Amino acid sequence: MIQLHNVSMSYQAEAPALNDVTLKIPKGDFVFLTGPSGAGKSTLLKLIYAELSPSRGQVLIDGTNLTRMPRSQVPFLRRSIGVVFQDYKLLPNRTVLENVAITLEVLGWGKRDIGKKVFHILKQMGLEDKVNATPLRLSGGEQQRVALARALVNDPKILIADEPTGNLDDENKEQILSIFKEANIRGTTVLVATHDRRVIENSHRRVIRLEKGRLSEVCDVQS
Amino acid sequence: MSRAKQQPAANVKRQVRPKLAQEGYSGRLGYFTARAVANLRQNPFVSAVTVGTISLALLIASLFLLVYVNLEGMAEGWSDKVQVTAYFDKEPAPLAVTVLKGNIAALPGTAKVVFVSQVEAEKRLRGRLKGQESLLEGISPEVLPASMEISLDRKHRDSASVAAYVAALKLLQGISEVQYGEEWVKRFNSFMNMFRLMGMLLGSFLAITVLFIVSNTIKLTIYARKEELELLGLVGATRFFIKAPFLIEGVLQGALGALISLAALLACYFAFLKNAANFLGVNPVAAGLSFLPASHLAAILLGGVLLGFIGSATSLKRFINV
Repeated sequence: MIQLHNVSMSYQAEAPALNDVTLKIPKGDFVFLTGPSGAGKSTLLKLIYAELSPSRGQVLIDGTNLTRMPRSQVPFLRRSIGVVFQDYKLLPNRTVLENVAITLEVLGWGKRDIGKKVFHILKQMGLEDKVNATPLRLSGGEQQRVALARALVNDPKILIADEPTGNLDDENKEQILSIFKEANIRGTTVLVATHDRRVIENSHRRVIRLEKGRLSEVCDVQS
Repeated sequence: MSRAKQQPAANVKRQVRPKLAQEGYSGRLGYFTARAVANLRQNPFVSAVTVGTISLALLIASLFLLVYVNLEGMAEGWSDKVQVTAYFDKEPAPLAVTVLKGNIAALPGTAKVVFVSQVEAEKRLRGRLKGQESLLEGISPEVLPASMEISLDRKHRDSASVAAYVAALKLLQGISEVQYGEEWVKRFNSFMNMFRLMGMLLGSFLAITVLFIVSNTIKLTIYARKEELELLGLVGATRFFIKAPFLIEGVLQGALGALISLAALLACYFAFLKNAANFLGVNPVAAGLSFLPASHLAAILLGGVLLGFIGSATSLKRFINV
């Protein structure tokens, strides 16, 4: 599903953020991407949803080579990838419903179908009573779940999350992780970047470790 | 190295995607317009700033246009003084006068022809010398020549047209001399040319300033919403999908701004007219002060719409990353 071949990525006049990274994440896998701050985790995720292009190497998503993909096709790739951003990226002047609905509006869904689907996913996330609230009125955990709902509402093939548990208490972390697991059971390939050791240890999933832009370790299921 | 085996349920049935709601141009336009209106509602401050700037900028430009159009109208009114007088050696017979009047009226540029007989000319002279009639004692009407007083239409009052008209007039039989204020016509035409040039120059500077201010304001307001633009791109919106509501929003803001500026202009016009007699000593009706014609009003409205559209289009270029 996700393949990186000898990928390097440098920002202007800086040390490379990624250096000769090669990895494969098969369809339906659930993988943690870990490493210290500045190791290149976010850069790697951005390469997968084509926000960045690699300086060298190839990135393949579901067999499509992103480095050869025309810019006009990028939106169609992104529709199959749900992303939970580190800073959530919720629009403060739109309601929870509208924030989640954006993903389906982009796909051209009708108003009634959007309403049904969004309400359904917000109910799954335990946010059915927050439908008309704006993000600023929500707690950190609730905001995270809204971001997750937006990423999952169109049943993406791939779910990417950048530090999704960063500012959450244990209860909220558990809740978020169980949502990831449910999505994975439904067939979504999940890639979570985190440096939260406890989350990784409790999840018993494959772990990819980055250090100074290099792949330092790939651990199988942790028990 | 065996990988994690949380095998997905391959036969899990995905929800069937419903029919798209935005098929066809009308469906898409409906969605984008609704989104644009919702954006205006959800960003009241930013929208108010944009509409306010467009209104003010267009009000200044349209005030200039109103003053210019009226000044030009007043100045052109002065050209009514451009009159050509054709003198006769001998007063023509009434029948010949009718024929001559017809011939003169047939010349291109003739607006009005009045025959002044010798008796009428003497009467006018006496009228002008009121109180000093003794000067005219012993003078008979035959001393003064009969003439045709000709007014020209507005299009034929410039130096070249007047000269061509006089040349054509001289060819008519019975006319011995033609007089017109040649010097005055030349000076008046130079003044009008200078006036129009200044108007165009000032108008162009004003238009550039308005364009600059409005496009920068729109740029700032779009910058304030750059997160929204970024997010739309990240969830898979195409460039067109991101741009369309913003462009419609720009058009709506431009049109609203233009309408507000026209309402303010109308208010300024009436306030000015009401007091014009007091502080300018001008009777607005006599001076012919008028509001802008419908074509100018339509141009201002169109200008507002274009300002909104172009301002949004150029600003969006910078912030859309898809």
